[in-house]
Amino acid sequence: MLLDPGMDLTLRPMRYPDFYERYRAAIRNTWTVEEVDLHSDLADLARMTPQERHLINRLVAFFATGDSIVANNLVLNLYQHVNAPEARLYLSRQLFEEAVHVQFYLTLLDTYLPDPDERVKAFAAVDNIPSIRDKAEFCFRWIDTLADLRSLETKQDRRAFLLNLICFAACIEGLFFYGAFAYVYWFRSRGLLSGLATGTNWVFRDESMHMEFAFSVVDTVRAEEPDLFDDKLGEQVTLMLEEAVAAELAFARDLCGDGMSGMNVDQMREYLEYVADQRLRRLSMPIRYGTANPFGFMELQDVQELANFFERRVSAYQVAVEGNVTFDETF
Amino acid sequence: MTQIVEVDRRLAIEEAAARVIADPENSKVAAGLLAEEIADETATHGVRTFSESVAATHAAGLLQDGLAAFVSAHSTELDALIDESADDRFEYFGLRTVYDRYLLRHPETRRVLERPQHFMLRVACGLSASVAEAAELYALMSTLSYLPSSPTLFNSGSRRPQLSSCFLLDSPRDELEGIYERYGQVARLSKYAGGIGISWTRVRSRGSLIKGTNGHSNGIVPWLRTLDSSVAAVNQGGRRKGAACVYLETWHADIEEFLELRDNTGEEARRAHNLNLANWVPDEFMRRVEADAMWSLFDPKRVPHLTDLYGEAFDTAYRAAEAEGLHTRQIPARTLYGRMMRTLAQTGNGWMTFKDAANRASNQTARPENVIHLSNLCTEILEVTSDGETAVCNLGSINLAAHLAGESMDWTRLRATVRTAVRFLDRTIDLGFYPTPEAEAANLRWRPIGLGVMGLADVFFSLRLPFDSPEALALSTRIAEEIALAAYDTSADLAVERGRHRSYGDTRAAAGVLHPDHYGLGSSPAWTALREKIDRTGLRNSLMVAIAPTATIASIAGCYECIEPQVSNVFKRETLSGEFLQVNRYLVTDLQRLGLWTQEMRDAVKRADGSIQDIAGIPSELKILYRTAWELPQKALIDLAAARTPYIDQSQSLNLFMATPTIGKLSSMYAYAWKQGLKTTYYLRSRPATRIAQTTVQALVPAEAEAVACSLENPEICEACQ
Repeated sequence: MLLDPGMDLTLRPMRYPDFYERYRAAIRNTWTVEEVDLHSDLADLARMTPQERHLINRLVAFFATGDSIVANNLVLNLYQHVNAPEARLYLSRQLFEEAVHVQFYLTLLDTYLPDPDERVKAFAAVDNIPSIRDKAEFCFRWIDTLADLRSLETKQDRRAFLLNLICFAACIEGLFFYGAFAYVYWFRSRGLLSGLATGTNWVFRDESMHMEFAFSVVDTVRAEEPDLFDDKLGEQVTLMLEEAVAAELAFARDLCGDGMSGMNVDQMREYLEYVADQRLRRLSMPIRYGTANPFGFMELQDVQELANFFERRVSAYQVAVEGNVTFDETF
Repeated sequence: MTQIVEVDRRLAIEEAAARVIADPENSKVAAGLLAEEIADETATHGVRTFSESVAATHAAGLLQDGLAAFVSAHSTELDALIDESADDRFEYFGLRTVYDRYLLRHPETRRVLERPQHFMLRVACGLSASVAEAAELYALMSTLSYLPSSPTLFNSGSRRPQLSSCFLLDSPRDELEGIYERYGQVARLSKYAGGIGISWTRVRSRGSLIKGTNGHSNGIVPWLRTLDSSVAAVNQGGRRKGAACVYLETWHADIEEFLELRDNTGEEARRAHNLNLANWVPDEFMRRVEADAMWSLFDPKRVPHLTDLYGEAFDTAYRAAEAEGLHTRQIPARTLYGRMMRTLAQTGNGWMTFKDAANRASNQTARPENVIHLSNLCTEILEVTSDGETAVCNLGSINLAAHLAGESMDWTRLRATVRTAVRFLDRTIDLGFYPTPEAEAANLRWRPIGLGVMGLADVFFSLRLPFDSPEALALSTRIAEEIALAAYDTSADLAVERGRHRSYGDTRAAAGVLHPDHYGLGSSPAWTALREKIDRTGLRNSLMVAIAPTATIASIAGCYECIEPQVSNVFKRETLSGEFLQVNRYLVTDLQRLGLWTQEMRDAVKRADGSIQDIAGIPSELKILYRTAWELPQKALIDLAAARTPYIDQSQSLNLFMATPTIGKLSSMYAYAWKQGLKTTYYLRSRPATRIAQTTVQALVPAEAEAVACSLENPEICEACQ
């Protein structure tokens, strides 16, 4: 079983080909920070109101450390306990993607904050800004829950592992990051910060895959050990999501203040509740809020893009193409 | 108080725009509100009528004195031409595009100084010598029946009226001064909103001896890096980013490094992310790919004559150079071809354009010294270039959707539109400001124009013709032929009125050969009569038809781009102004009639990434009609393009689509395109290998998500089969 302790090295016969396919799909979507043109954003930043600038500075400060935290949990907890080499291939790939995200946000900060003191402050936000510190502490607490577990021997251990996995997928990548993406797309829907939006599109695509991988690990474990999924686990997940929504909402209060046209704390609350319900639904758990999505602009992210190449880089290409020259295939 | 009204209206616009998928009528609602906002904005500068807007923009230093004087002399007649209700034709995205990018703004307040209809009449006046002429062009534009290309829309009537869309520069000479002179030309042309095509085939390859210093060349990549930076540095007045495409002939010894320029891995010092890349492919190469033979790569310094040859003369010279052992090295032709396919799949770039097909049928290449060396940024322009001649093209496109009459095309109106369009495109050649003398010289000599189309998919949807049906093929071909006939006929009339173009004697037309003759299709009564007329009159323009991508003007007109199929039934457009939801309104109308356009249906279409093929309850004839570009056989797109080629004397921007490309599928497809005689192809569009978790559609639990766990390899975890 997937969570049985050990270091399985056997790729054939492959027990979880779906994980391997996810690894391959991720490789085909390789992108690099050098492809993102962030300098076009500087003119937009200069035009923004002080309130919008505040929002952006805080948001960037959160981005500065968010992906590093996710990477840490991956190395310290997930890789150790998900015992299938094909799953570990995917996690290795995910680790690389987290590194690219960290590099992207580093480049973003260096570009957006030309003053060295401002940069230092942004990276220190995780210690100094309460709304960011609280989110980080939420993450650290969940990293620590597995700190003393060398192997998942008991049902209790495995439930602890599942909670950590679900926390990082549903609450951190699936809620904190989704909250952050919404601010970016709100700017984007008004024609602002297209450089940040381009990079965010690619980060978003990666994060979606990380989340989906984690959920398919959950599905697999559920199929293998259905008794792990008792009511208590469901309650704990719901509680955890409530806590995450509260932390993200405090962050939203810090970011939005009295609110701006099209973006305020009430709307953000509805959005976060809506997203949290989506996560519960995906985990086959009862929804908690029943709130509708207030952000029409998020619909824009759900459909195919048709970029005018005169204006925007087209991001829909694949690497690692296979095959040989032939002349008789259908097309 | 007014501020509150403005904020409320802006929110109402955004809300309506966000509900476009639920009901496409919301697009018109949002557009109507935006039109009000624009009117209020212009009013803050005292602008209400057309003549007031011209006076205001002129006072702000944005317009030519001549245009201001013309408008002021005819203000009553011109103001009366404005059709206020014409704004109702705009979809929201179209009007937003006009507002954000085309309306002239006050240099300090940044508020717009003209309304959309003022803008259109101003563009028309900028190209007209009389009120009657202006009225004729304005009538086409305000009904969205025909639109000039973006540079003309941006700059008509302005102090620096650069009206041309594309410039084609010959390869720099193989020397330092020549290369730096080209950078300068590219920058000057790019500044005024022109797209650049430039060949690099004449420049020596890596390892070639540099006599002056006794060193060895680093090849073309470092030069192209400099070009890349130069292009990125030029921002076209904040309205567009500069853009260029580099062409390289397939025998150039640096071809493999060239193909890697857009890769996102590897050494950054050998990458050029802003440049587009195109292959200028001789037939000899494709024949060797077919025969699985070797291909020789040359340093142009050793075979400088190859660049100026095509057809049999090229084949002979190429083989002779091989026989003399002049090549740098040899590789299997299929290895290189496979490499080209890989670049297409990975970057969409490395467009396949065919040198011999381009030259053989061109009206400009009657004399051996006149050779086409490249196409342009969008692969629809094919014109002769040389060191001292930079080819130029002025473009405009007819909205085919606006030329429907009930169950068929309104052919009479289509011909009339072509006539007006050709006259105004010809006029732009004389009115335009040319950033370089090389461009001006070439344009006045050849006077080429590029009349194209947009909205072909709208026509097919309206007439319920699937893209791959024989009826669609026949209709599309007839459209191309009617346009060519009317365009040539008009240019013949213009030759009588205003004179033949200066190099008419150097064209194939002067010898009685018209474009369809190269395809054995020039002997119908219509073409025979036209040929006789041209024998008497000559032509005012050496080339007339080119199908451009119409990326921006199709948005304004609210139709599908040029000859393209739809990419999705629900998608977003990303532009410098932001992102905009778009939905296939033909599909929505059909599903509304059937009572099927429900929230569940909308979610299902979004979840399927804009496809309706696997959605239960949709009638099969709708599924066939509303296939996306990803679901249509690409062979059909190539067949449509090949059938219209005899009537396209330049070329067409033909995108091809493949969701998950493989080398095998691509190599088959491009070999077919070449065999069918296409002159050029454009992007290969593919799809990301992964996608985001959608936020606005209901998450699916595993049991609902098909094929999540169904795998015969591990039946023990497959719940679906148990």
